[in-house]
Amino acid sequence: MHQPLTEGIYYILLALYEPRHGYGIMQIVEEWSAGRVKLGAGTTYGALKNLQDKKYIETLAGEERKKEYVITQLGKEVVEMEVARLKELYDNGQKLIEAKGTK
Amino acid sequence: MRVFKLILDDVKEEQWLNDMASQGLHFQKFRFPFYTFEKGKPGEYVYRTEMLENLGFGQETKNYLAFIESTGIEVVQKRFSWAYFRQHQSKGAFELYSDAASKLAYTNRIYAIYAMIFGLNIASALMNGVISYADASADANSFLAGLSTGVSVVILYPMLKSFFRRRNLKKEIELFEL
Repeated sequence: MHQPLTEGIYYILLALYEPRHGYGIMQIVEEWSAGRVKLGAGTTYGALKNLQDKKYIETLAGEERKKEYVITQLGKEVVEMEVARLKELYDNGQKLIEAKGTK
Repeated sequence: MRVFKLILDDVKEEQWLNDMASQGLHFQKFRFPFYTFEKGKPGEYVYRTEMLENLGFGQETKNYLAFIESTGIEVVQKRFSWAYFRQHQSKGAFELYSDAASKLAYTNRIYAIYAMIFGLNIASALMNGVISYADASADANSFLAGLSTGVSVVILYPMLKSFFRRRNLKKEIELFEL
């Protein structure tokens, strides 16, 4: 079992189901979360480096300034495990709220 | 416009640059001990400063700065490992680090630098102090002892601030990140 992903890392992995460059990732994540998750450039850079070291993502050929990244097979497996974990958290929360909640 | 200013505290320097920007004075460059500003619209830019990794040398630093620029952030100045960035206010809130884990990694870097400068100056103060105590004619050592003591005292405050910033971030991570 892997460790839970932070929401930044989770969203970066989702963004890379399509090849994107760094700024493209930051923009789509902000859009998907309706402005709630605004990734810092330093945070994004560090996350991309770590995710490459773990082989969850890889770079496509291209010059440094416009380097594009894409998720790997291993990265997709990690995302699927995370979604299953989130579903468990969500289902249990929902069940309890319905049974004992204020509604 | 040139302004004479000595600041050793990274947080205070960043705050000061943003205060100046809100008055329409936009930071252009720093050349010890002068900061150069250009007049413009009040609050047009948000400034951020950063201690770069690898002492600001090498390919890794170049890659990082290229990445930063590719996101629409302007590198105003890079002086050794110290970098000044700014972004136009129309692009919204501007932070280099957006989560507790990366903020902590950065604060560790800052703290390590302060602690190193503090340690070296304490060592120098003691060593030169002992020499000038043993030999009353060792004026240079006496001067260095005083200087190192001064630097140690001045650096103590930002060092402690970054220490407590680290501690608070660690607590936040324990609560929310895992």
